Amino acid sequence: MGEREYLEYYALNRRGVSGWFRMRGYTIERKLYALHRITGILIVLFMLPHFYSTGWHPGIWWDALLGIIVTFHVANGVRLTLLELLGAGIGKPLLVKKPFQRPVSIEGRQRYLLALTVLLFIVLAVIWSYYAVIVKPLMGG
Amino acid sequence: MMEQSSIDLWKPVKVVKLKIYRYNPKKDFSPKWKEYEIEVSRGTTILDALIRIKEEVDPSLSFRYSCGQALCGSCAMMVNGRQMLVCRTRVLEAAHNRDFVELRPLDNFPVIRDLAGDFTSFFEKHRAIKPWIIRRDFEELDNPTGEYKQTIEEYARYYQFTDCLKCGACYSACPTVATDHEYLGPQALAQAYRYMVDSRDDGLDERIAILDSDHGCWRCHFAASCSDVCPKYVDPAQGIQLLKKLIVRRKFGLKPHRPSDALPSKIGEVKRR
Amino acid sequence: MRESTKMLLHYIAGVLIVVTGLIHLLANNDPGIGKLITGNVYLYLTNMAIFLAALLYHALNGVRVILIELVPDMCWTKLIGWAILLIGIATYIVGIQVLLMALGLV
Repeated sequence: MGEREYLEYYALNRRGVSGWFRMRGYTIERKLYALHRITGILIVLFMLPHFYSTGWHPGIWWDALLGIIVTFHVANGVRLTLLELLGAGIGKPLLVKKPFQRPVSIEGRQRYLLALTVLLFIVLAVIWSYYAVIVKPLMGG
Repeated sequence: MMEQSSIDLWKPVKVVKLKIYRYNPKKDFSPKWKEYEIEVSRGTTILDALIRIKEEVDPSLSFRYSCGQALCGSCAMMVNGRQMLVCRTRVLEAAHNRDFVELRPLDNFPVIRDLAGDFTSFFEKHRAIKPWIIRRDFEELDNPTGEYKQTIEEYARYYQFTDCLKCGACYSACPTVATDHEYLGPQALAQAYRYMVDSRDDGLDERIAILDSDHGCWRCHFAASCSDVCPKYVDPAQGIQLLKKLIVRRKFGLKPHRPSDALPSKIGEVKRR
Repeated sequence: MRESTKMLLHYIAGVLIVVTGLIHLLANNDPGIGKLITGNVYLYLTNMAIFLAALLYHALNGVRVILIELVPDMCWTKLIGWAILLIGIATYIVGIQVLLMALGLV
């Protein structure tokens, strides 16, 4: 890093990629955002060898891990589709604000949706792991 | 018996260390951290402490402030790594059982000096979404015949977003802005929504052309940090999601809002006597 | 194409992946239901064609979103968009060819 870049780095004061994965001190939605991005990249990385030789799989236990990654991305993706595209659970703008009112979008119905998402993730991950670890070896590979 | 009086509020109770970011991009090669010890009382805000340091200890300390009562939005800073208005955050509240407070300039804003950031691009983005009422009835505007009246339901659609101070806390907290300097940012998008759902406004399609671009509203992925840090509870995250919904509805030629959507449930609960 | 069209397709592709991906997984992993799907070649082929298209669109658009957030300058944004589109079309053609060869239809 030259002197010019060094000065620019501190003067611009931009977080850079570390800003995407900065989770401490913020709400749980930010953690889910970071995890959604990480799992998305991991799925794309899995897809490449799977396309190259169809039927390629990393092995039983890695398959279960892949299941956790995929089911998280699916469950959170369903939540994001509902929130961003359909505006479901995001709430209505307030006319009356109480002192120290919490934002509507990060409490109430949106948080119930978040709890349902986690529940959906756990159910899907258990089903996938059951198939990956028990059914698939019984089928013989 | 302990009686709370206004005198107690200003009695020094603790010595707190303020760890402050010192950097002048024109002179210094890299930023430095300086520590100042200061006696605080229960009512001392961080802004009070900063002013006292500037007056009594180190006159070279730079920061921006104006009203001191959370109405102007000049004094947003990173307090212990979180965006806050320092004028309404008390030192003891921020120190929270420890005895030091860390102060940095807002992330994602270029540093002018020490704790003051450069808001030029932030205001340019706010200006880019045309934050004013756009009317098409020029005849009426030239020769006015009456007021533009609104019902309480129409007012309730956008009232929440009018509280914005432009303090930059949401822009600083946004993970997309951390890398994408072309992204409009939560403040501008929430304000765009505020003007688009205003019943007096005719500029819906004009603004959609600006917002529905590569670095417009679709770069928001609902990390909800903007709503989390907003000091005036404007809730920009909600505004952006509703804006996306509005754009999609507009795309299919649907009416932007159903009447039943408009009225917040809270109004029904108000009892009249 | 407006950004809202791209993102709307992104969400629709996501829903399609859940449906067709579930069929793909059941066909390969469940002994009972698997025979019903793999037994009919055209059902399997149609499912795979939709699944591959939706998956490629969703994945590559996701990569595009990440890249243009990383390199936001206007010329890079356009370059990334076109490069991703070409990669997607090429991969889809190769994928369909491999699928047809594997099923013995070509």
